[in-house]
Amino acid sequence: MAAESELIIKNGVVFDPINGVKGEQKDICIRGGKIVDSVSNPKVIDAEGRVVMPGGVDIHAHIAGGKVNSGRLMRPEDGRKGLVPKTKVCRAQSGYSVPNTFATGYRYAMMGYTFVMEAAMPPLAARHTHEEMIDIPILDNAAMPLIDNNWMTLEYIKSGDIDLLAAYIAWMIKATKGYGVKVVNPGGTEAWAWAKNCSLHDPVPTFDVTPAEIVKGLAEAMEKYEMPHSVHVHPNMLGHPGNFEVTTATYDLVKGIRPYRDRPTMHATHTQFHSYGGSTWGDFESKAKAIAEYVNATKHMSIDIGSIILGDTTTMTADGPMEYDLYQITGRKWTNCDVELETGSGITPFLYSGKSPVNTIQWAIGQELALLIKDPWKVALTTDHPNAGPFIGYPIIISMLMSKKRRDELAAEVHKAIYDRSELPSIDREYDLNEIAIITRGMTARTLGLSEHGKGHLGVGADADIAIYDMTPEERDAGKIQKAFLNTKYTIKAGEIVVKDGEVVAAPEGRTIYVTPECDEKLNEEMLVTLKDRFDKYYSVTFNNYPVQSHYLPHPFEIKAPWRS
Amino acid sequence: MQTITLKLKDAVVSGVAKVPVEVDALTPDQLFGKNEAGIKAVKVWWGNRQEQTGDLFEVSLAGDAASADDVKLVFEGDLRRVKRIGEGMKTGEIEARGDVDMHCGAMMEGGKLVVKGSADCWAGREMRGGELVIEGDAEDNLCAMYRGEMTGMTGGKVTVFGNVGELTGQYMAGGEILIKGNAKMLAGLNMKGGKIIIEGDAKWPGADMTGGEILVKGATEMMPSFKFLETTPVDGAEYKKYLGDFAMGERKAKGTLYVR
Repeated sequence: MAAESELIIKNGVVFDPINGVKGEQKDICIRGGKIVDSVSNPKVIDAEGRVVMPGGVDIHAHIAGGKVNSGRLMRPEDGRKGLVPKTKVCRAQSGYSVPNTFATGYRYAMMGYTFVMEAAMPPLAARHTHEEMIDIPILDNAAMPLIDNNWMTLEYIKSGDIDLLAAYIAWMIKATKGYGVKVVNPGGTEAWAWAKNCSLHDPVPTFDVTPAEIVKGLAEAMEKYEMPHSVHVHPNMLGHPGNFEVTTATYDLVKGIRPYRDRPTMHATHTQFHSYGGSTWGDFESKAKAIAEYVNATKHMSIDIGSIILGDTTTMTADGPMEYDLYQITGRKWTNCDVELETGSGITPFLYSGKSPVNTIQWAIGQELALLIKDPWKVALTTDHPNAGPFIGYPIIISMLMSKKRRDELAAEVHKAIYDRSELPSIDREYDLNEIAIITRGMTARTLGLSEHGKGHLGVGADADIAIYDMTPEERDAGKIQKAFLNTKYTIKAGEIVVKDGEVVAAPEGRTIYVTPECDEKLNEEMLVTLKDRFDKYYSVTFNNYPVQSHYLPHPFEIKAPWRS
Repeated sequence: MQTITLKLKDAVVSGVAKVPVEVDALTPDQLFGKNEAGIKAVKVWWGNRQEQTGDLFEVSLAGDAASADDVKLVFEGDLRRVKRIGEGMKTGEIEARGDVDMHCGAMMEGGKLVVKGSADCWAGREMRGGELVIEGDAEDNLCAMYRGEMTGMTGGKVTVFGNVGELTGQYMAGGEILIKGNAKMLAGLNMKGGKIIIEGDAKWPGADMTGGEILVKGATEMMPSFKFLETTPVDGAEYKKYLGDFAMGERKAKGTLYVR
């Protein structure tokens, strides 16, 4: 759109939780892709009493990079689904749980989302991740490099050099044009290279450090900078019965750390997979209540739910041993990958069935977490796309959180274990639209530190990323709510109408947001001596060829993270 | 009975590229009730372009039909680059006069499809019901699943008068396949149900099978992971009955293989 073109959205009922706007009828003025106070000669969109929210901000999804693409390659049968021929605006779409890059952009935009965080970027495959993000239309994006199973990290954790670790983190985030510090089964993925796994206090083979030390060390090191987002943690023992104690013990690790600004010190992701009781699949039960009570009682945590969408999906994670365990259960196809001295990954398809007691309880847990954690500012809506289900299932979860009736109807259709091994049927709480706006944009933008950079709200100066849903705020019919959240009436991205009446009408390129931690030069020099030696000895890539060049980010947006004094 | 004759125009496949035509939109159930102009207006893919049937085929109609069951489609001309003949057909009859390209009878649910020549790969892919007759040979993946899927043919009957290629009936779960000639390697791979009869020779039939039945009348090169059960008569001839495939583990080895 022309830089100065103007737009006004009239008669919308606005939900903008960051600015405390809870369903007020107000006009929104847009000029040059930003929200402004007033406009003089605008194009008018009459929202006619429909629900208006800031563009959705997804805090955790796997949408780009090596393992997403491996998922597409190993699942041609998934590519058969969701086929949409090209149009004058859109390129051809395919896929359901592992959609192609184009479909990813269009479908998120159709749900009113305008920013997605790629949650796991293997540093060595950063170029591939950025290449795919270039190819994802409409969405602004960012990616978090995996730093926790890296040999350099493990060495610094062992020697206790937190300042040097901070220097290494800064170098790695800059080299990969990443956003923050992602932790996935700390130590466990390195142990998997030796066909082992680690729980929180098990020593990592050859390095003799524990996952607990890794998490704490990384959190301390990254808090040396004014980082927008906290350490983003996928704890140990994902998907194992009885793992909830490991989960809360992981949360405890960062309790004493003082965060930069008023934000949590840890974001724990896809918490559904980490809220399991029992000791086997036979006595498996929900421990969502224990996790929710922990989060309710403390101030240093934020979580996303990682809710299950019943049906077929493709699981993919850097948690290699977990994927192997899953493959042992299903006997379906499985891919395993080792990323030199950095990380690894595994991929296997999975069917979440409402006939299975275990899958049913898993399905309940995601919703229990969202309903039992009292403060929605601590909770984000995710499906850990595509691990617990594809992102196009978000509207299903929204409709369930908003309707006890819908939950009761669905509970009657799944395995009866839901009644005696989960809390869900006994929970009466229903989310209102303000709370939905919090868990899908307000909380996520704030937790990622993006709200001060114009994401997730509609205050003057914010990015003009807006979703207009085809429903009134009074709508209570779960089916209609689900439909409205699947296809917006309008999605506006940077002031441009990209979706109208559920169809993509423009597909501009999005921006990639990256963080530049600013490390003390002397510390950096000291760290580089070791790092260059490791590159010479072990890497298949030379030190100078490693960093992602700037042309991999055609539309970059930099957030500087100065050293905290 | 209504007969709709669709003769492919020579010019369509006379070019160097021989761009394929995809005719899954032309089945008795979809054409029933249409007049000549209506049929000519049905869109079909020609390479990456959608064209009208009348631009690619000479269309003629004879007789009347009370229902789609009464409709017979006849494809004529050089059909070697015509794909998806009878794909997803539910009822009625299709006759293809000549060799046909890939995916004929794929996902077919009912009715009868007769190929008066040979069929390229993926004939009867994921077939659900109905009858498919191929008077010549069939290439690889006859009645198999599509790449990556875990279920192939689930119902219906298929007869091939000639030989078949590799991976016939992969992940087959139901229905019946009769092959009068030979089968190349791995017929019934991952089979879990249904029945395959091979009157000629077969190489490694039933590998990784967990259910269903395969009977080979000719010479068989067997996988080593089958367990001999007994000698038993079938249709007046003595057969050796095996259980397998034990490569899938003892618990899952529930397939039956009869060989001479």
